[in-house]
Amino acid sequence: MVEIYRSKYYSLHQAANERAFYLDLGQKTVRMSLCQLLSLRHKVLSISIETHFDSDLNKHGFEVLMLCNKEHLFILNTLEIIDLKNLVEHGFVALGLSAEKETIAA
Amino acid sequence: MKDIARQSMSIKVESMDMLNAQIKMEAHASATYLAMASWCEQNGFFTSAKFFFKQAEEEREHMMKIFNFLVDTGGSPISPEITNINHDYASIVDVFENTLEHEVKVTKSIHNIVKKARDLGDIATERFLDWFVMEQVEEENTIRDILDMIAITGTEGVGLQMIDNQVAKWIE
Ligand SMILES: [Fe+2]
Ligand SMILES: [Fe+2]
Repeated sequence: MVEIYRSKYYSLHQAANERAFYLDLGQKTVRMSLCQLLSLRHKVLSISIETHFDSDLNKHGFEVLMLCNKEHLFILNTLEIIDLKNLVEHGFVALGLSAEKETIAA
Repeated sequence: MKDIARQSMSIKVESMDMLNAQIKMEAHASATYLAMASWCEQNGFFTSAKFFFKQAEEEREHMMKIFNFLVDTGGSPISPEITNINHDYASIVDVFENTLEHEVKVTKSIHNIVKKARDLGDIATERFLDWFVMEQVEEENTIRDILDMIAITGTEGVGLQMIDNQVAKWIE
């Protein structure tokens, strides 16, 4: 297994023999196909971090993240979300699927 | 290292994001034209209503073209959420003027994706959009012709009904 990218809390790995990726989220490691990784990317980059600084919009500063067709559920705080956004952006650059690290939020 | 990622996906994720945004724009156009068809029906412009029903269908086809391209390239197409569809128009002229405005917006958006895809070196996406670039030239031209016809016909007296009848020329 090859490490693709490591952020402060998380890391992304590639298992070429299985044609799969492993995302180590600390509490749990999740096995993913590229499609699932793309779906994670969409979810994570769609999270508006601004709402975390507005108590009306996000009272507790947590984000519920469901992965792989609701097989896994994670609850992440503001810093963890920022770190995961960072991992996703740099991870896709490292995979050669993204040219820049600039976020294009959907 | 075996490049599983590249083997699974043949365009850049930045292109995918822009194409997903374009899917949404085409869906929005389709819904807008449907609202215009409804307005035309309710205000007695039955030929124009037919024109907009057809336009609505075409925009959905555009959306599906992009959707299928994302499927073919191993991307992740997103089914769009459409909100804010305007149903209020002051006149039939207003309807067509809004249509042209909308088409110009779509053209600009497509040109923007072409330029960015070029910067990314994403040749597949750039080539894919060739069809859309030419389609937009035609769409803008059609609406401009209709607006010219409206200007010549005039909206006085039976003008409005004559305008509606002449729209038939642009329904193939
Ligand atoms: Fe279109
Ligand atoms: Fe159009």
